[in-house]
Amino acid sequence: MNWTRSKIIWIAAAIIVVNGFFPAVWILLTSFKTETELLQVPITYLPQAATLDNYIAAFTAQPILRFMWNSVVVAGLSTALCVLVSALAAYALTRLKLPHRNLIMSLLLAVAMFPLISLMVPLFKLMRELGLLNTYLALILPYTVLSMPICTLVMASFFQDIPSDLEAAAMIDGCSRVGALFKIVVPLSAPGVFTAAILAFVNAWDEFLLALTMMNRVNMRTLSVGITLYQGEFAFPWPLISAALIVAIVPICILIAVFQERVVGGLTAGGVKG
Amino acid sequence: MAQVRLKNVVKAYGSNEVIHGIDLSVESGEFVVFVGPSGCGKSTLLRMIAGLEDITSGEIAIGGRVVNQLPPRARDIAMVFQDYALYPHKSVFENMAFGLRLRKLPRDEIQRRVSDAAGILQIEHLFERKPRELSGGQRQRVAMGRAIVRQPKAFLFDEPLSNLDALLRAEMRVEIKKLHQKLRNTIIYVTHDQVEAMTLADRIVVLQAGKLVQCDAPDAIYNRPAAHFVAGFMGSPPMNFLPCQVGDGGRILHLPGGIDLNVPANRVAECARHSGRSLTFGLRPEHISANAQSGASSAPVSARLMLIEPLGSDTLGVIRLGNGEEAGEITGRFPPEAGLSVGQSLSVSLALNRFHLFDPDSGKAIRGADW
Repeated sequence: MNWTRSKIIWIAAAIIVVNGFFPAVWILLTSFKTETELLQVPITYLPQAATLDNYIAAFTAQPILRFMWNSVVVAGLSTALCVLVSALAAYALTRLKLPHRNLIMSLLLAVAMFPLISLMVPLFKLMRELGLLNTYLALILPYTVLSMPICTLVMASFFQDIPSDLEAAAMIDGCSRVGALFKIVVPLSAPGVFTAAILAFVNAWDEFLLALTMMNRVNMRTLSVGITLYQGEFAFPWPLISAALIVAIVPICILIAVFQERVVGGLTAGGVKG
Repeated sequence: MAQVRLKNVVKAYGSNEVIHGIDLSVESGEFVVFVGPSGCGKSTLLRMIAGLEDITSGEIAIGGRVVNQLPPRARDIAMVFQDYALYPHKSVFENMAFGLRLRKLPRDEIQRRVSDAAGILQIEHLFERKPRELSGGQRQRVAMGRAIVRQPKAFLFDEPLSNLDALLRAEMRVEIKKLHQKLRNTIIYVTHDQVEAMTLADRIVVLQAGKLVQCDAPDAIYNRPAAHFVAGFMGSPPMNFLPCQVGDGGRILHLPGGIDLNVPANRVAECARHSGRSLTFGLRPEHISANAQSGASSAPVSARLMLIEPLGSDTLGVIRLGNGEEAGEITGRFPPEAGLSVGQSLSVSLALNRFHLFDPDSGKAIRGADW
């Protein structure tokens, strides 16, 4: 019984891992192939004559480092802003005697479910009126707002577990309420804060539609949009695009790897009191 | 050290008033204990003094300054919490130094104060540890250390010992008392444990349902309770209560089971004012003795022993006084060598000069001029 059960778990885990990893692995393998090899029949799985030419081309054909810098700025600043605002919101929702708290929570959740496409036109008009098109703020502000509901909910679930006496102690020791939040509550909710930050960062890093709409100057493109510039009108250089994609994925992989333990703790918290 | 003064302090949540106008003055260097059952408002009152709860009306002054509108950090008080409330991510040293760092004290001053406090509490060897690596007693010491280093105007303790086991609780109680004797700080201490209240306090404030019932020295609280509630709450086992009828112009108390007690001459006047009335008669267990002695100050009463609870140092015996259906049951505290056995008939004597009378309607104690 136990043996069968563990076998099923292993098979299920394997399916999930293969399903998740296959596209990434396939892109990685493609990035080392030549275009000729990619199109030959029968297909080859491992590169027959591995080459780094695609990577060299990825850095020379388009200003990919500039795209990456744009992405880092937009994702980094929107994440910082989002975490700051969400921490305050989560604190207010969990600690202050707010009337209609549950209604506010539900509304937050509802806002998170708006399809982005329905916001596109009003957001574009707003940014144009504010003269923010082709500036980082045109993406930082919407990304902050779009990630805020989920970040707030994640942090709120963590803040709830922090005994309120700790804040009381901090306030008596000399903190203001906001001081107690950032000196005591936030450090103690580190896994939740990291989880929220990574969610916000990945959302911003991956976002395409807004980035395409708000930035039409090449040097303001973010990575996700910049990668589309590698394709020509009639040509679709898969190995080159794959190489560019791998370059785009690497920072996120490093980020997740560094904070993995904290994120895993964060995503599973609430299930078990810890 | 400073005086803490409460003037008609009220707390209400919406229309629900939970603290009903408390007036109290805690003198500089005094150790005052708030005691009462769960939900009586003692912790709320303490948190109002700390500034952690707003007050609905009234005035709180610390060191002569009204602090109603001041946040906790500006009140210059320190608090020790029931669950210690140590910062889990900081070491013992940093826990103690946190408040001093926030007040931007020089580094060597912080070091000196933390070391001094740690020396008093014998926790210097724990400086590098995190709270999770400490035992309950050590955490409690660190929490007290964190309060001491601040050198505040007043210390507030919110049931600080209730999470400790009985042995450690007794040990820490002594520590707190020694600490107060050494530092002579103003302390307001909340507990539901009457032993803590009796042993620690200079004055005890007994609270019931958000009202101050009595504020007095421990001895007075125990021996001259102002109300039925205080008499029943302080003392273990609690005071015995029986309904009684005052007869013969205050010279006799009729108790259930056909027992008539002769009121001693010095208390006749007090009883005479209530002649003919039904009152509540109260007597502490230690004022009942198994060796019946007849005299002006004690009355022999026939009784039957219903239950025995040996405590080692004494034996508690539940006895049924007198005869008949309405005979009252009371608990007496007897020496272990009295050789009592369940079901045994005996003659007990009630110390007549120690009984208490309470108004059954208001619950207030009825006292004579000399009482």
